[in-house]
Amino acid sequence: MKTIVAENCIIIKKVPMGGDICYFELGPFSKVKSIKPGQFVHVQIPCCNVFFRRAFSVYDVDTEAGTLGILFKMFGRGTEAMAEKKKGDRLNILGPLGNGFRIPSKKESIILAAGGIGMPPLYMLTKTLINKGYSKEKIFFFYGAMSKSDLADTKRIKKLGVKVYLSTDDGSAGFGGFVTDAIKKELPNINGRRRLYACGPEGMLKAANEFALDLQIPGQLSLEAPMPCGIGICLGCIKPLVKGGNTRVCREGPVYDIGEVVL
Amino acid sequence: MKPDLAIDIAGVHFNNPILTASGTCGYGEELADVFNINSLGGIVTKSITVKPRDGHPSPRTAEVNCGMLNAIGLANVGVDKFIEEKLKFLESFDTKVVVNVAGARGQEYVDICYHLADCPRADMVELNFSCPNVESGMEIARSASLAEKTVGEIKKVFPRPVMAKLSPNVSNIAEIARACENGGADCLSMINTLVGMAIDIETYRPRLTNNCGGLSGPAIKPVALALIHQVYNAVKIPIIGIGGIMDYRDVVEFFLCGASAVQVGTALFIQPDTPVKIIKGLEEYLSKHNISSIKELIGKVRIY
Repeated sequence: MKTIVAENCIIIKKVPMGGDICYFELGPFSKVKSIKPGQFVHVQIPCCNVFFRRAFSVYDVDTEAGTLGILFKMFGRGTEAMAEKKKGDRLNILGPLGNGFRIPSKKESIILAAGGIGMPPLYMLTKTLINKGYSKEKIFFFYGAMSKSDLADTKRIKKLGVKVYLSTDDGSAGFGGFVTDAIKKELPNINGRRRLYACGPEGMLKAANEFALDLQIPGQLSLEAPMPCGIGICLGCIKPLVKGGNTRVCREGPVYDIGEVVL
Repeated sequence: MKPDLAIDIAGVHFNNPILTASGTCGYGEELADVFNINSLGGIVTKSITVKPRDGHPSPRTAEVNCGMLNAIGLANVGVDKFIEEKLKFLESFDTKVVVNVAGARGQEYVDICYHLADCPRADMVELNFSCPNVESGMEIARSASLAEKTVGEIKKVFPRPVMAKLSPNVSNIAEIARACENGGADCLSMINTLVGMAIDIETYRPRLTNNCGGLSGPAIKPVALALIHQVYNAVKIPIIGIGGIMDYRDVVEFFLCGASAVQVGTALFIQPDTPVKIIKGLEEYLSKHNISSIKELIGKVRIY
């Protein structure tokens, strides 16, 4: 069954966010309605020395307009070439790919741990939970980055109306320290059954994974890995599983239960 | 009239000459999410070994200019699970299945082919004599006598056609091709990847944990064409061309060079429905040039 499509989408909106971060709104994409928070798209960047597509978690969708948003940081030649694209240019989008987050019970307190450019899928998850009628009082959004300029689009997150806690490694904005430390500090104020969702760099995920296992907080992590194909055929984006063997981050992931993957 | 893309190779009928290359399409399940795999001439499965293998640790793929390096290390489910699950999945499709077989020693190839002999859905086997990513894989690829002997033994146990996949990492590819033909190979597929390396300039580490890997993608197409041209003049059995095919134009070049069919590999990672686009492009090309069958192109390069 054809569930994945490759379509040429127009860059409808391009917004530089500072700190080498950029926002693209892309469309029309026929599968917008089926995108779940945590899923990603694979973007082809027409450029002579960029061969593979690049994977980006979906940040936001507008189902009426048929568009999707991605947020990316200039990191290597792929994302640098992408940042040179202008409003009106076309990019081929393959998706939706991977598995989304499991939606929690309404009784739980939801802790979101976003590290740097790992923030987008957690924003989309939060927005989805609110649309499904979850109490904003029980959603705690922690967003940490290296420095103030790496905290992108904080206005959009604050507009959701959930509790937002900013942190920076260098202390230039919000709590000074790692996002996991910010969560630990706030944890006594987060009551009831808790569930953690985290996305960010591997070191941060490792810390989140360990601390969640220690405190027996269930939840899920969204992993990042360089992905040549994005659909599970190249076997390039593997990670070892705790139970043994490998998992393809693009196909079985990118979302995994806490304690499932060796980090 | 619609031009004829069908092709018969060693008595096996392919609806069109576009196959997916081993190691780039798993066992077909993933591509089925993107397009109707009945539109393929055939699927060449991921290499199958006697025992399941996890392969090499990550990173095992790396992007390079105009292509990629891989050192997956023959990760696969093993022959038993392959027959039980993966071949069963492929049974429901109307496309030919070529099972790629790999081993550390010649006897392992024979053992796997013996198991596959009773599976009629394995229309053909492709012998991966040339995987650069496992220690002993290159031994048979480089030895004409060993290649001839191994093909001969496989022909005794496998009742359907046998395709030998050739490595470009040898000094005389025509000699190996002739040896496979003498051993009884029904057709050849070429080329496998070229050995390559890439290094991270920040860490000084190779970009693959296996240090070196196989180069594939458009970067290797001219090499493939040159070697196919050489082998086409050295053997009588059909050649299935592989190496950096991205569109129908590339396929036409491979046919002109002497290929009777092609395998599309790395292109699937960039555009998974490449085969569908190629088939449409080929039909248009043949119509435009008043060519009724793609067979008319085989070996028609006008050499200077």
